[in-house]
Amino acid sequence: MIVLGFDTATQATAVALLDAATGAAAERRHEPAAGERPGHAAQLLALASELLEEAGIAFAAVELIAVGLGPGTFTGLRIGVATARALAQATGAPLMGISTLRALAAAAEPEAPAGTGVLAVIDARRAEVFAAGWRDGEPVLDPVAVAPAALAGRLRDGPGTWLAVGDGALRFRADLEGGGAQIAPDRSPLHGVRAETICRLALQAPQATARDLLVPDYLRQPDAARTRNRPDR
Amino acid sequence: MTLILGLETSCDDTCAAVVTGDGDVRSNVISSQGIHDAYGGVVPEIASRHHLELVNAAVDDALRQADATLDDIDLVAVTQGPGLVGALLVGVATAKGLAAARGLPLAAVDHLQGHVAANFLRVAARPEAVMEPPFLCLIASGGHTLLARVEDHATFAVLGRTLDDAAGEAFDKGARLLGLPFPGGPALERLARDGDPAQFAFPVARNVAGLDFSFAGVKTSLLYRVRDLGEVEAAGRAADLAAGYQHAIVEALAERCERALAQTGLDRLAIGGGVAANGPLRERLAGLGVAIGIPPRELCTDNAAMIASAGRYAEALAYPHYLALDAYASGERALA
Ligand SMILES: [Zn+2]
Repeated sequence: MIVLGFDTATQATAVALLDAATGAAAERRHEPAAGERPGHAAQLLALASELLEEAGIAFAAVELIAVGLGPGTFTGLRIGVATARALAQATGAPLMGISTLRALAAAAEPEAPAGTGVLAVIDARRAEVFAAGWRDGEPVLDPVAVAPAALAGRLRDGPGTWLAVGDGALRFRADLEGGGAQIAPDRSPLHGVRAETICRLALQAPQATARDLLVPDYLRQPDAARTRNRPDR
Repeated sequence: MTLILGLETSCDDTCAAVVTGDGDVRSNVISSQGIHDAYGGVVPEIASRHHLELVNAAVDDALRQADATLDDIDLVAVTQGPGLVGALLVGVATAKGLAAARGLPLAAVDHLQGHVAANFLRVAARPEAVMEPPFLCLIASGGHTLLARVEDHATFAVLGRTLDDAAGEAFDKGARLLGLPFPGGPALERLARDGDPAQFAFPVARNVAGLDFSFAGVKTSLLYRVRDLGEVEAAGRAADLAAGYQHAIVEALAERCERALAQTGLDRLAIGGGVAANGPLRERLAGLGVAIGIPPRELCTDNAAMIASAGRYAEALAYPHYLALDAYASGERALA
């Protein structure tokens, strides 16, 4: 089975093509330079088409489309999900939505000693992070939007040790270390979402998501909804 | 027969349509989100979320109503801008994904060019009433107010634009001052039917230079009138206020059209945008003594058939040259 997977929840655009029969995977990434816009709209399909061309196949040959559902930047998530839905609509391939936090954690699990939890942390802007935690593959912290200091407090008050990964773990390293978490080194690839992991998790998932029900895990209400009871806004 | 699939998501309507290469509208699906009325305006993030939920079903509906499948489509056309960038990106990503997966060409369309191209569509209601360039075109809606000289099918020159609020925005804001629900344009027009436009005079902004528009003054003037009259009196005379207010907006639009016709020597005028549905505006423009083209209402308000129509004349990009295409929020790609 040929799987095309991608994630646009963070600043990066990550795309992978996986051949389930051989286990071979190829990945292409775009990481914006400091101050540069993420450019998900410009990057996503261009990277996907490079991978397909290299593999000598067309979009029509893709048999499963996997997309990171976030949480992350709203616009980035919509570009990813809209692209996945459109490709599925045009090719008939089934769709699979994968939690971006789960993908971050799954890639880091082999690096965590037994009993150490893996905490996936995505920078959510506005001085918050999106975070979720797993220990020995079991969810122990449900996805949440939270201030880094509050997250550190929860780690400190709870049991066990943690390995934290993701751009939020990097940005708020001091807060999370204050909570007792160990952060993967600054240059570790574990801080970036890997599209290959999105593909592999999609293969393990029990069933595809209906196209019109596939939406991002925004994890935050739109601004206006949060203020709708204030008539002067 | 060439078939074009059009997509439009620049504001709060999720639109998909199928149009033939000859300009016949085979389907024109407009999925209105409705939810924004509760906020008194369009909330960009909410609009974007709804577009994503609705867009593929809108495409399915448009294809089904056209008795077609994606196999029959020869070109995908999509609004690239201007508009709400998060909303536009849902349409752009969808159009690119559909086109790329099928190896189809893609036409990136300017929204305002779409409103102009609504005049090139044929519908059952007016089989021969297609406008051929050159003509003068007034586009007035909640998002834009533009006077353009349409040179040919693919280009227009902007002669005037609003310096502040759009005409439809002026209608909506006036309606809100008179206690009417959003979107207030149609409600204000209904209320004005029972009023006397001569009871209250509102400024028409005749002092704005050239062919530009300004609607900030008329809105402020209504605000002061309502305040000076007091709540009870203003409510009692709401119909007269609405009639006077509407008269000022219609005059501002019509006088600019008149001046532009005289300056350009053009003898045909097309109108588009949601405000084109306004009865008194249509009557006033019909009195200008030139040929008037008004597309049916569903082609005047935002729709994807007009985008597909513009796609007929746009330079389409072959696969894979559009893969890096992005949306743009503001500005016009038209000739200066
Ligand atoms: Zn419009």
